[in-house]
Amino acid sequence: MALSPLLVAQDLSRRFGGLLAVNDLSFEVREGEVLGLIGPNGAGKSTTFNVISGFYRPTSGRLSFRGEDITGMSASAISRRGLVRTFQHGSLLRDMSVHDNILIGALRAVRDRRGRQRHVRDTAELLGLGGLLEATAGSLPHGHQRMLSIAIALAARPTLLCLDEPLTGLNSTEIAVALGTIQRVRQEFATTIMLVDHNMRAVMRICDRIVVLNHGQKLAEGTPAYIRNDPEVIRAYLGDDA
Amino acid sequence: MPSARVDTAELPHTATHRARVGPLLTTLGAASVLAFALLTPDEYDQHLVMWVGLNAVLAVSLRFVLLVGETNIATGAFYGIGAYVAALCTVNFGVPFPLALLAGGIVATLVSAAFGLITLRAKGPYFMLISFAFTEVMRLIYTRIDYIGGNSGIMGVFPPQSLDPLMPALTVLLCGGLVLALYLCERSDLGRVFRAIENNDAIVETIGINVMSVKLLCLILASFAVGVAGALHAHIYNVISPGDFSYLVPVFALAYVKIGGDSHVLGAVLGAGLLTLVAQALEGAGALEQILFGGAIVAAMLVLPDGLWGAGKRLLGLLWR
Repeated sequence: MALSPLLVAQDLSRRFGGLLAVNDLSFEVREGEVLGLIGPNGAGKSTTFNVISGFYRPTSGRLSFRGEDITGMSASAISRRGLVRTFQHGSLLRDMSVHDNILIGALRAVRDRRGRQRHVRDTAELLGLGGLLEATAGSLPHGHQRMLSIAIALAARPTLLCLDEPLTGLNSTEIAVALGTIQRVRQEFATTIMLVDHNMRAVMRICDRIVVLNHGQKLAEGTPAYIRNDPEVIRAYLGDDA
Repeated sequence: MPSARVDTAELPHTATHRARVGPLLTTLGAASVLAFALLTPDEYDQHLVMWVGLNAVLAVSLRFVLLVGETNIATGAFYGIGAYVAALCTVNFGVPFPLALLAGGIVATLVSAAFGLITLRAKGPYFMLISFAFTEVMRLIYTRIDYIGGNSGIMGVFPPQSLDPLMPALTVLLCGGLVLALYLCERSDLGRVFRAIENNDAIVETIGINVMSVKLLCLILASFAVGVAGALHAHIYNVISPGDFSYLVPVFALAYVKIGGDSHVLGAVLGAGLLTLVAQALEGAGALEQILFGGAIVAAMLVLPDGLWGAGKRLLGLLWR
């Protein structure tokens, strides 16, 4: 596999008043891989996500996506270039049907009406929501809601799909289903995936590479096997919540 | 999962069945109002019909911006701008009547675009307060400009004499057309995006839609409709003054929407119709009118959370089974 970089973050920093939430962070996401972003609470994972998806402007540093400089672009502009994210909590259109949720996702990506309908059905099918198209999103069980929030992002046909804590709050059965789904998404759509999660075992299982953050800085980067045995990482996690 | 499939398979059938009854009844209702407007010899009745039409557009326009989750009290300002611009066109420049109406709508649209660009970054109560202030500031501005008559306003705003007998029907047609146009927008994909923004604007942003410009479009469309209605208002009443365009106008429109029911455009129309007639019956009651109105809003909120439309729908649902 020749892996060219899709997203390159260079010396990325984000300051909130006196707090340097992300500090001189550099990493890259390579085409076709699943990259995990892990770290103890408050390590800057969510801030990093918000910066690369355009919800925060970086205080300094550069971001490029598919060779184009996207530093300081708006969230919608970045999304139109193919970087689409999900949110940690309840990223759903609660009062709308499952069908309309996914349709909103597909609105920009698929222009012709009939193709869009097919795309909505296919996406729902892939995420196990095929029989629930008419259901109201807010009334779905938790696991289905999670899959729906991924479906919305996926319907936008992303080149890079960024999943913010897709497994948090799911039980072990639901996690197994979710992991299987993420794998299938990767295979069927050739989507590159970047994800943040606390579930260490799941992250180790699904990711090709992992970037570990601590205090806003990169602590380590490598394959799951490498990360698992890195003394720095072990030290950062001891006494923490992992 | 299989049981869910069976449920959804049966749903569309009954839904299309009912969907055919709705437009039929609506068309019948609109046609009878139009016939009434054309045929009634009573001048008082004619005015009542026109008043209902204008209030319906006000309510539907306010509801249209509610679709993206914002309470747009500036509806009153754009109504007033439409009225003043059209009145000036007719009285000072002798512009043909249709063009005066169009000018009212267009200027209201332009001003709303500028207003929206600056204010739509604010949301919820903040936007509501700004839009409230804008309506009141516009009212004060009218009083200070001598060219548009200051406190006494503009008099002698007449439609062409040949149109006089047709004004009630024309008003019903135009107002109905504006309501229908906004409803068609709501039913399109654009309307879905409006609702999505109301639900969760961050998601809409992440799938590549610029939320700000969609909200601006929503405001502009609503303001065009209400600008044309304001232009009609000037030509129906023949006199306008700043007091006609205070914050009370959009607040009453909000009452029409909430009491009529905000889940469907016809709820707003129903509310406007009913409350306009009630207000007419209470005419002369002075402050009592406003007290009763306030009471009705509170009662509707408590007893009919989705308004008369929602209550009617529930009742029909019970009868249908």
